[in-house]
Order: sequence, then structure tokens, then C-alpha cells
Amino acid sequence: MTQLIDYILGGAGSGMIIALMALALVLTWRATRVVNFAQVGQAMFTTFIALSLQTLTGSWWVALLGALVAGAVVGVVVQYLVLRPVKRMDTSGAIIATFGVLIALQAAAGMIWGGDSQAYPQPFNNTALTVFGREWPISAYDLVVIGFGVALVIGLTLLFTRTNLGLAMRATAFNPEVARLSGVRVSRTLTIGWALAGIVGALAGVLVAPVSGISPNSFDILLVFAFTAAVIGGLDSLIGAVSVGIGTGLILSVVSGYSDSSNAPVVALILLALNLALKPEGIFGHNSARSV
Amino acid sequence: MLKIDGMSVSYGPVQALRDVSLEVPRGEVTAVIGANGAGKSTLMRTLAGLVRPAAGSATLDGHSLTGRKPEDVVRMGVSLVPEGRSTVPELTVDENLRLGGMWRSKAERASTHAEVYDMFPVLGDRRSMRADTLSGGERQQLAIGRALMSAPECLLLDEPSLGLAPLIVTQILELVKRLAEESNLAVLLVEQNAVTALRVAHSAVVLNLGQVVMSGSAADIASHEELRHAYLGY
Repeated sequence: MTQLIDYILGGAGSGMIIALMALALVLTWRATRVVNFAQVGQAMFTTFIALSLQTLTGSWWVALLGALVAGAVVGVVVQYLVLRPVKRMDTSGAIIATFGVLIALQAAAGMIWGGDSQAYPQPFNNTALTVFGREWPISAYDLVVIGFGVALVIGLTLLFTRTNLGLAMRATAFNPEVARLSGVRVSRTLTIGWALAGIVGALAGVLVAPVSGISPNSFDILLVFAFTAAVIGGLDSLIGAVSVGIGTGLILSVVSGYSDSSNAPVVALILLALNLALKPEGIFGHNSARSV
Repeated sequence: MLKIDGMSVSYGPVQALRDVSLEVPRGEVTAVIGANGAGKSTLMRTLAGLVRPAAGSATLDGHSLTGRKPEDVVRMGVSLVPEGRSTVPELTVDENLRLGGMWRSKAERASTHAEVYDMFPVLGDRRSMRADTLSGGERQQLAIGRALMSAPECLLLDEPSLGLAPLIVTQILELVKRLAEESNLAVLLVEQNAVTALRVAHSAVVLNLGQVVMSGSAADIASHEELRHAYLGY
């Protein structure tokens, strides 16, 4: 029993990272009805930029800030240069195009920073917490990750429910024509959505890098988990992405604990298949049919 | 005054509007009537900036609307209530109203917001409910309320009676007429239901296959028997 609890707790940090990446996927989906498979590639690229800044300045926080700014910029660039022209022709074409962007970003990162996995530093020591005379499977760094995730979710919730920009973004996602007729500058709103997703993805990248290391392909597996969480969560739902994302992290941690971590992707795929068979609109989705 | 001059619209090889000219004075309801496919909705969507005309122009009080994006047309004072009770179903009543006229100052919007709730008390009662829980008539009121939030000088209403019970249609159209007269709005009302539209309109235009076949006072058109038989089917 104690072992099970340990395994579950051990998944909290990675669950939050999956949740953040899933959140980034949901943000682009809501803005432009495109699943952005390049999201992890963008995050990988911005994490490399952060690593360079870290080497240059020695500050973890400056590197984080740099990654977030770069995340917004890369998101906007990808939307402008690739998504806009392609989507004008065909939505499924746009989804394929995001794969192209992923491959291009990985190739570019390999050329700039090399293909080997590099270590990414942590702001704190990654030692297990000792409370009540017992060593827990959660580290101080896990708490930092969870703290960032919670702060971001609160921030986004306030943005979407309390501000005009958030209202414009929601209206644009659900009914772009009525939004335009109401005076919302829809294309600008979509671009802001991509920038926001880029920032969230970049945060996930910097937070996962100390654990996973950083190489052009090191976040690929994160795409599998985040995509699973986003789809099960309903694709349209921010709450869905976050809660299913954390849940996925906990389940995978238990699976890895009792068997082997190489089984985690298989379990993620089984969860995804079950979800598509039983409740294809997702746990938090309310629209019965959406064409992808 | 909204003035449309020689407007033509084509969808590929199909010409939806041919050389349409009409004037919509302030303080009046001008009805556009005609059968399905006469080009009524195309006219409205073109005025709102959703469709680009091949030729012709539209002006509001002398300012050109032609070739502008919908989000700019609404800023110039022309607000469209599209066909099908267009609201954002996933948002609440209050949020749907807040969506309208975001570029205006907070104080201006707050006062219009209160006016809309005065005008449509049922919306005030349901302000925190999602728009898709409203009845058809309530949703149409919400769609009109949203359009009014941008403080328009010209209101374009595309088939507000569609799918609503006759009593509710009468209530909504009476309210539209009062709006035109009391707020000095130029109202362009598109209707398939000619009888109802002619009852509230001051003047009317009959469209057939994209062309204006007759225009005049609502009373004249209502009493024109041949025209009724030929184009309006009653």
C-alpha cells in the first residue's frame, strides 16, 4: 500500500508536465481547430535557447524567461508562415504541416546544438523531501513544477473568464462569425492563442528538461502522453487537459513502478483507444461531433 | 442613412445580386422581401463585410462600407443579426452581450448593457445561463441584444422570424420598429414572411433572382395584387 502511494505521488511532477503540454495542444486546438504536433518541437527548440541563455548568464530564471518569450515568438512564426497559408486550403493539410514543422525544428536543433542529449540544470537540488522522518518520492523540484503548473492554470482561468481578451478568444473558438460581427479582430485573436500555447509549451519544456535531458528528440514521448491527455480531456477543455494530464502522469507512474517504464507509452495508447471507443468526445467535451 | 448603389455579387459563375440599389432612412424599418434564393441573405452578408461585392457600393451617412472587414464595418455603426438566431451557444447570456462592442469604453458598454436588459427583461433573468438553454424567441432577443451592444446606427436583421411562434414574431418585430423610431436607427429587415414584414415596415423592396423588381411604401407593396401573386406567393 505504501508502495502504491509512493508510486502515485512520484507521478505528480511528470503529470503536471504532461498537463501543461496537453494544455498547449488544447489552446491551439481551441484557437484554430488544428492539433499542433509541432508543439513539442517548439518546446524543444525554446528549451535549447534557454540552455544557451543559462550557459551565457548562469541564471535559471533568465533562461526560463527567455524560453517563454521565445515560445511566444516561435508560436506566432509557425502560425504565420505555415498554418495560415496551408489552412486556407485544407484543415487536414494543416495538421500534416505541423508534423513537417516538427521535423524541421528537430533537424534545425540538431544542426545548431548537436544531436546528443545534454543536461539541463535545476534551480534547486533534486533531493527527496524528508517529512515526518520519512523520505517521500516527491522532490523539492517536483513541488516547483507543480507550483508553476498551478499558477499557470489559475492565470489562464482568470484570463479566459475575467478579461475581454479571454472572452474574445472563447467566442472566436466557438463561433468565429458571430465574434467577427461583434467586432472581435479574429485573426489577431487566433495569433494570440498560438503565442499563448507557445508560452505554455515552452514552460513545460524548461520544466521537464532537468529530468529528461535535452536533445532534438527528447520530448517526443511527451507528445504521445500529452496528446492522449488532451484527447481524453475533450480537446476543447482546459480543465480536461489539466486534470487528465495529471491523471495520466499518476497512472503512468504506477505502471512504471510495478512493471517497467518502457510500458508507459503502451498504456497511454490503450487509454486513448478505450477513450475513443467508449467516449469519443472526451470526458470534459460537450460537443458530440467535431471534424478533425 | 444607409445607401446601397448598384451592388452586384457573384459566387463563382452564379450571380446572386444584380445592380441592387436602395436607401434605408434613419428612424424607419425598410423591409427586403422575396422568395428563397432571391439574394436577401447575400445582400445582408455583403453589407456586413462577410462577402465582397463584384461591383457597387454601400455607404452609411456618406462613409463607404464597401471592401471593409466585418470587424471594421461594425465599428462604423452597421450591426448584423445573422440568420438562425446567431449567438455563441457555449457562452452565457451575459457573456454574449459583453462580446458586442468590446472596443467601446467600459462606461459606454455598461450603460448599453443595462439598456438591453431593460429592453429584454427575460435576458436579465437568464443572464448567467448558457445561451443554448434559451428558447428560440429568447435567443433571437439575445442575438439582437448582442448587435445593439455595439451602439449601431444601422441594424441589419436577417430573417428574425424564422422558426418562431407567430406571437413571438409579432413581439420582436414591434420592438424592432420601436427601436428604429425611438433610437433613430436605420433598420434593414430581411423577411421571407412578407405579410409580417410589411406590417411593421415603413417601406419595402421586393427582390427576385438577385434583382429589385419593385420598391415603394410598405402599404403600396402590400396592396399590389399582381406583385403579391407573382413574387410573394399569396
